[in-house]
Amino acid sequence: MRLGTGTIGALLGWLLIFLSVALLIPIAFSIYYDDGNWRFFVISSAIGFVLGGGLSWSCVSEPEIGHREGFAIVGFSWLAAAALGALPYYLSGAIPSYLNAYFESMSGFTTTGATILERVEALGPSLLFWRAFTQWLGGMGFIVLSLAILPILGIGGMQLFRAEMPGPTKDRLAPRIQDTARILWSVYVLFTAVETGLLMLAGMSFFDAICHAFCTLATGGFSPRTDSIAAFQNPWIDLIIIVFIILAGINFSLHYRLLTGNWKAFGRSEELRFYLGIGIVTTIFVMLANIHFATYDSWLDSLRYSTFQVWTILTGTGFHTADFDQWAPACKITLVTLMFLGGMAGSTTGGIKQARILMFWKFTRIQIRKLIHPRAVVSIKLDNRKVPAEVIQSILGYLSLYAVVFVFATLIVTGQGVDIVTGTVSVIATLNNIGPGLAGVGPCQNYAGLPDLSKAVLIMCMVVGRLELYTIIILFVPSYWKDVRCPRWRWSKT
Amino acid sequence: MRVVVIGAGEVGRHICQQLSVENHEVILIDRDADRLKRAKRDLNILAIEGNGASAQILEQANITKADLFIAVTDIDEVNLIACIMAKEYGVLRRVARVRNVEYFSGASPLNEHRLGIDLLINPDQVMAQEILRISEMSEAFEVVDFAHGEVVLVGYQIKEGNPVCGITLADQKDLRGLYDFVIVAIVRDEETIIPGGSDLIRAEDRIYLVVRRRDMAAVEELFNLWSMAPKKVFIIGGGQVGFRVAKALEQRKVDVALVETDSIRCEHLAEHLSSAVVLNFDGLDAHDLLSEGIDTADLVVAVTDGDTTNILSSLLAKYHGAKKCITRISRPDFIPLLGKLGIDVALSPRLVAANMILRFVRRGAILSVATLLGSDAEVVELVVSERWAHVDKPLRSIGFPADTNLGAVVRQGKVIIPSGDTVLKAGDRLIIFSMKKAIPTVEQLLTS
Repeated sequence: MRLGTGTIGALLGWLLIFLSVALLIPIAFSIYYDDGNWRFFVISSAIGFVLGGGLSWSCVSEPEIGHREGFAIVGFSWLAAAALGALPYYLSGAIPSYLNAYFESMSGFTTTGATILERVEALGPSLLFWRAFTQWLGGMGFIVLSLAILPILGIGGMQLFRAEMPGPTKDRLAPRIQDTARILWSVYVLFTAVETGLLMLAGMSFFDAICHAFCTLATGGFSPRTDSIAAFQNPWIDLIIIVFIILAGINFSLHYRLLTGNWKAFGRSEELRFYLGIGIVTTIFVMLANIHFATYDSWLDSLRYSTFQVWTILTGTGFHTADFDQWAPACKITLVTLMFLGGMAGSTTGGIKQARILMFWKFTRIQIRKLIHPRAVVSIKLDNRKVPAEVIQSILGYLSLYAVVFVFATLIVTGQGVDIVTGTVSVIATLNNIGPGLAGVGPCQNYAGLPDLSKAVLIMCMVVGRLELYTIIILFVPSYWKDVRCPRWRWSKT
Repeated sequence: MRVVVIGAGEVGRHICQQLSVENHEVILIDRDADRLKRAKRDLNILAIEGNGASAQILEQANITKADLFIAVTDIDEVNLIACIMAKEYGVLRRVARVRNVEYFSGASPLNEHRLGIDLLINPDQVMAQEILRISEMSEAFEVVDFAHGEVVLVGYQIKEGNPVCGITLADQKDLRGLYDFVIVAIVRDEETIIPGGSDLIRAEDRIYLVVRRRDMAAVEELFNLWSMAPKKVFIIGGGQVGFRVAKALEQRKVDVALVETDSIRCEHLAEHLSSAVVLNFDGLDAHDLLSEGIDTADLVVAVTDGDTTNILSSLLAKYHGAKKCITRISRPDFIPLLGKLGIDVALSPRLVAANMILRFVRRGAILSVATLLGSDAEVVELVVSERWAHVDKPLRSIGFPADTNLGAVVRQGKVIIPSGDTVLKAGDRLIIFSMKKAIPTVEQLLTS
């Protein structure tokens, strides 16, 4: 079947309109805090509305969305969303270079949390809110959200859902994909509300609380403070955020099952045990290393900062309560390794995801077993159910492609003269949607100093990482576009 | 008792034979005239040709007067329907053989209670249970539980050079020390002896002991036998029986290798087993078996559908040094022969199923029964009733019939290994070893 460019254009238009509406929300904060930025949101929203409206009006949609169209719709809308989301930063003059604004915006939507800003507070409340809000939208996926709200996306919604939701296999909680999307977003909204409330109880202002809740549940890490969570120096806030970071790294369908009274699903999940196990073991290791190298005065401080840093890095949130760039090399390399892992499939985290790591580990073990028993028949099981061979194949393919993308991006970044630690870690931190890295891009530094081409590569890394490689990479494959035609316009005859 | 049996296969025939020997009225129904003719010729029963699930045929068998209905045809659905009909006709107890596991699940709305079936028997499941029970001990060739497993009957093969050879049972008693046991039967040259004090144990004898389960280890040491649960088990044949055995052994942390020829079946097995190694090759492929280490196996269980494969692979394993083998054989006539060949335990799934049914049927005064495979002796469990003439009298004053031996007395959950001074009380459960022909005499004695 020919690629339905009409469908792609029309749906892209609808999603732009959807985001234009979202751009109106920060205006409330702008008026309340009287920072004068409201007009830039109005202009940005109007631009988005005109572009989106024009696209959706002029393109004639096909009756069905195939999976090929799904990739293009999701891929292009993410690129376009970041472009639209960058406008307020650029128009207000807070970020003078559009490339930097685009970087900041993409870092928001992909929940990376890497920033090019020296002093975050300089943005003003409404832009800071928008920054956190983009993360929240990107965390569970704004396309999944629009599936839940917009009836227009009903057809072929599964294709879009598949292309946006992370994880090797997708849970379906309800027979209709719209209901599944609605359930996931409801859980997400509920958790955000609860965290906002708890943070306010711990002493944050409503503005700080909601921004941090947005960035925690999305595992984004855009704090409205330059010093991130360290700015508060409040152990209760640390604790609340750690708990919600851990929760955000768990598959949201599990949360839903738990909330509907199905406790057993939580206990049965092998991936959950693996995820918690890795987090706890590395926390202990990093804590012991910090005690050994006497980074902190007391072991309690070591425990507090190590726990926070391990979980925030593992889930790809990227908040910081300590400048881990000053920690011992053993701790730093542990944290960099953790960056690749991510949380569970179906969570809002970045990275490879625990499910893939776990199945890869099982696959490796079985290869060794096959060497000992050449005639043995083996099967890989997750939660006592057999994992189909094609899922294993796709995971192996995923990991190889991941390595290739990583190597190429690192080559380009370091090829521009960026030092090896900064270059490598910046790619790792953006590809896995972490945010802060080491050395030049460490928690107390920012990405502004990198060359422009490197920033462009890192922007691609972020979106490729968030949409799990294939959705974006397929758009660069020539055969994907082989039979592409001009879309059918509304005004064209027949 | 009037018994209606449908299905004249191995199981049906075996049940008919046992019940008719015990003087019950047996009516056998089958669709195959040939099989019926054979059964009629060999057994003292009434045979009716026809469909066991047909009302007309059942009425012809005078089913309303029957006390027991046993459905053991090869077709599950026929057995189930026949049992439902038997219930409508007012038969008191109904037994059905059902192969399909899905009918068994407690979750199904059509479980055995709803269908009004007293005993549902799955031959594969019963077979697997039997294999597991025997596998617990590597030296014993037979283990039967009594009194809820507190007392066991164990069968051992006495090998050349064992210190107990040539000692009379009376002398044995002096050796036994703290532990009570009774040697209740000796099988020598396919002849069963219910021994007295003057009988000798000889090499190549098979002896049957009654012993408390907790004393078993000590008694085995006394007999210079080592019974250890197997650590490494090879299962040849990944059918229902092989799978069930593998699954159970795997949970006991035993090293299990399961060999199956069908690669699709292997996939299924690998999916449902965790630590067991599923191997895809032929059970007769000596090279592959050896490279997987069958020579070091503690136990080899050959349970493919083919008797030849089972026998040959067992022999191969034994030849290369496997410690013990359990072999499934569908023709029970060959069982005595296999012992001669060096196969430790041969089990016929049909006989195992038939024994299970008989055990159920005789429930009542007789609580459980095991037929000692390959011998003429039987073990019966009987309860002493209050009205019995010999209550409260010492054993020596009761004239126990010849060819019977009282193995154990269970009183209020405690086990007594009896001597001449033991006094029997009402409610005691007696475990009696007897030659088949002596069973009616024993029953008579106990009901007098």
